[in-house]
Amino acid sequence: MDPSILLSIICAGAWGTQAVFVKLALGGIALPAMILLTLVVNLLVVASCIGVTTEGGFSQFFAFSHSVYIYFMVAGFLNYFLGRGFYYSSFRFIGATRATAISSTYPLLSVALAIFGLGEKLAPRQYLGIALTLAGVYLLIMKGKK
Amino acid sequence: MSQVRGPLDATLSSVCFGLAPFFAKKALLMGIHPLYGVAIGTVTGIAVNVLFIFCTGQARGLVTMKREGIKFALLASGCNTVAILTYYWAMSLGKVALVVPITCIYPFFTMLVTYLFMRKSEVIDRWTALGTLMIIVGIILTV
Repeated sequence: MDPSILLSIICAGAWGTQAVFVKLALGGIALPAMILLTLVVNLLVVASCIGVTTEGGFSQFFAFSHSVYIYFMVAGFLNYFLGRGFYYSSFRFIGATRATAISSTYPLLSVALAIFGLGEKLAPRQYLGIALTLAGVYLLIMKGKK
Repeated sequence: MSQVRGPLDATLSSVCFGLAPFFAKKALLMGIHPLYGVAIGTVTGIAVNVLFIFCTGQARGLVTMKREGIKFALLASGCNTVAILTYYWAMSLGKVALVVPITCIYPFFTMLVTYLFMRKSEVIDRWTALGTLMIIVGIILTV
């Protein structure tokens, strides 16, 4: 098996399993503390990886331009503060399966931006994919109203 | 309330997760190793989160954590970190067109683990299973 396939499956497994642990954790820990704890663990491991695996190590941080920092900081704010905050918050109100499935629809936004912003055209399978995804979200949300 | 707030929060998280890569990609196009981006983004997330905690008076929540909560939070953090590292590792070894659709199946694992370990507290009915599978197939077809 291609190692990238195996790693992708491990990634999906870890990402999917995380949701269940978050749901269980929120019974005994406040949401901001939960987000903070996951971010600190992320940072410790990522910093270790930078120190061990990258050529430039930590000195590279001094070589980046301001624009690099601004882009990554905006991405971090959206992903690690707002995105993670809303994602974990949703576990307080609905089940892990529904919350994860709904939040996993983010590629649709990329497609919408590509269509309306860049004027790109989609292949028929992509239209089918969008229809299936929206129908799936509709099912999950409507089921919750019963 | 929860019937609106839960799906709304999940949808807003999806919007944030969808917007973030646009900014990250702009920096990555300058030839930056993704791990540096994750580190800068994570530090930003921590800084804003700490500011948010103190500005909203939620600092007490940091000291009133139950042991069980910390245990599961650490397990979640471990899974999250493994996911981040394997994602970039897979991206560096394989094709994006292969890696991205495979990683999109993660809601299936959530459903599976929920079914195996949380069966009593979270019921997965046929509509939840069907909706989740439709989203997974739909996203794989779209990306």
